[in-house]
Amino acid sequence: MMKKVGSVLLFLLFMSQTVYADFDIQKAIDRAKPGATITIPAGQYKGNFVLTKKITLRGIQGTELVALGNEPVFRIDGGSTVTIENMALSGNKQAIVASDVDGLELRNLNIKDSHTGVYIQRSKNVHIQHIEMTGNNSHFSKKGNGLAIFKSEDVVVEDTNIKLVQDGIYVEEVKNILVQNNRVTNSRYGTHFMYSSNVQAFHNTYRNNVTGFMVMMTNDIYVKDNHLENHNGLNSYGMLLYDAQQAVLELNTIMNNRTGVALQKSVGITIASNDFRMNQTALEGIMVKGNSVATNNQFTGNILTARADRQGFLLTNNYYDDYSGIDLKNDGIGDVPYVAVSSFGQWMVRQPVYQYFVASPSVVLLTSLDQQINKTEKTVLVDVTPKLMTHQITKKNETNFQQLLIGLLIVTTSMWLWKRGVS
Amino acid sequence: MKRWIVMVVISCVLLVGCGDKTYVPREIVGETDVCKICNMSIVHNEYAGQIALKNGDFEMFDDLGCLMEYIKANGENEIGAAFIKDANNDEWIDVFKATFIYNKEYWTPMNYGVLAFKTKDAAVDWMALKGEGQVLVYQDLQNFNWGIHQ
Repeated sequence: MMKKVGSVLLFLLFMSQTVYADFDIQKAIDRAKPGATITIPAGQYKGNFVLTKKITLRGIQGTELVALGNEPVFRIDGGSTVTIENMALSGNKQAIVASDVDGLELRNLNIKDSHTGVYIQRSKNVHIQHIEMTGNNSHFSKKGNGLAIFKSEDVVVEDTNIKLVQDGIYVEEVKNILVQNNRVTNSRYGTHFMYSSNVQAFHNTYRNNVTGFMVMMTNDIYVKDNHLENHNGLNSYGMLLYDAQQAVLELNTIMNNRTGVALQKSVGITIASNDFRMNQTALEGIMVKGNSVATNNQFTGNILTARADRQGFLLTNNYYDDYSGIDLKNDGIGDVPYVAVSSFGQWMVRQPVYQYFVASPSVVLLTSLDQQINKTEKTVLVDVTPKLMTHQITKKNETNFQQLLIGLLIVTTSMWLWKRGVS
Repeated sequence: MKRWIVMVVISCVLLVGCGDKTYVPREIVGETDVCKICNMSIVHNEYAGQIALKNGDFEMFDDLGCLMEYIKANGENEIGAAFIKDANNDEWIDVFKATFIYNKEYWTPMNYGVLAFKTKDAAVDWMALKGEGQVLVYQDLQNFNWGIHQ
């Protein structure tokens, strides 16, 4: 009996060992002429592969490459037009490291069990598309970024799905980058821009991170149509612009964050036509300079609409759900200014821990007093042209015949039972 | 007897008053600590700094440059002690006594490129292994051009 059990265990042990495919990828790369396409058959391959010439590596369903040691699966040094697509990658430190490449394309890659997914430096014309990357549940300080791009130019990152990493997309010293249709969840920052210029971010969805967009020392920024949701930790922001210059943030949905959008030491920021919903504080400004304005935004369900230091910033033509003025002229603009000045808000700027008292009765009373006192302010957190409802959703009455029939049946039965009871 | 007790109490009070208060760096709390200046969460602990204020509070920083920006904005009067991580061994050292090296290629969280060491010898040894830099002392940091250096 024991012999049989032992045989079964040995069989299971043997079967659970990974069997590696025998196609020699490095040999194929070395033998290929520049510009060739190598198709890697399905199977699991272990190794560290080096690319230095124009080449396309294409996997098929079931192609999986695992790095040996701390070297990446692929190291791309120099060369032009390198394409890697359709495969799963795992590496202890990084899955892909690319340096000095002109024309790098990474498509349809599934990266797991890696500290950092893709690390790119000093490269041009980079296109990253359809990357799936899942990190692990350890603290952010113990893991790397999903995609990290340094000192590069003309980069597009799109349609990626990244979770449980430090920063989903980390961008440092990059000129001309478009980040679109990405989804980053449960990470430190969704996208982290540092020292970059001509930055565009469209249609991204960031949820449950510490902060959605972290933008630092970056200029010429266009952030449009993104969805930033559930960044509600002690130090969380939907979007934080620190020392940023010339940014347009428009048509974004910013909901359920501790602070929706924060501007610090930033210059020339336009926040237009965004939907701020259910944030603890919708807008925050500290040392904001140079014609920064929030206009045509919709503020609904936020505990505090805006807070700022003495410099403040300009609010104009926004809709506020807590605006209590009237519109006798019927021009869609309230007749009295909306006052967002809040002494308590300014205290919160200095001591974030005060946020826990934000809806207490004394704070509500203080905010009401602020609103009465500051109506004559012209520039600091007072909107002299507050919009009344910007758009209304009209829904036609629809008849649900199923529900109507059931209702009629219940009413008729009840009346019949009642009549029987009476007689 | 009463006179002796009074003298002992007075001596104790005088000794406590005359003694220098010692400031001990506190551990970084990864979940909640953010840089006082730039708001980045501190995840690269090996570059972090902290200031122990005389009132008992601590201010945390993710990079030496942010710590220096705080000192520039607030002065040194309220500072009990300032600490930065030693690039050699990840231990807290005194900012005012440390030796620093700068090279734009040294990576730090804010990319300011300045690293701290307990002694000048340690800095020189480090440079021999990792690449040359410009040796600085605390006074040099006060006029240093913090920011990215092309």
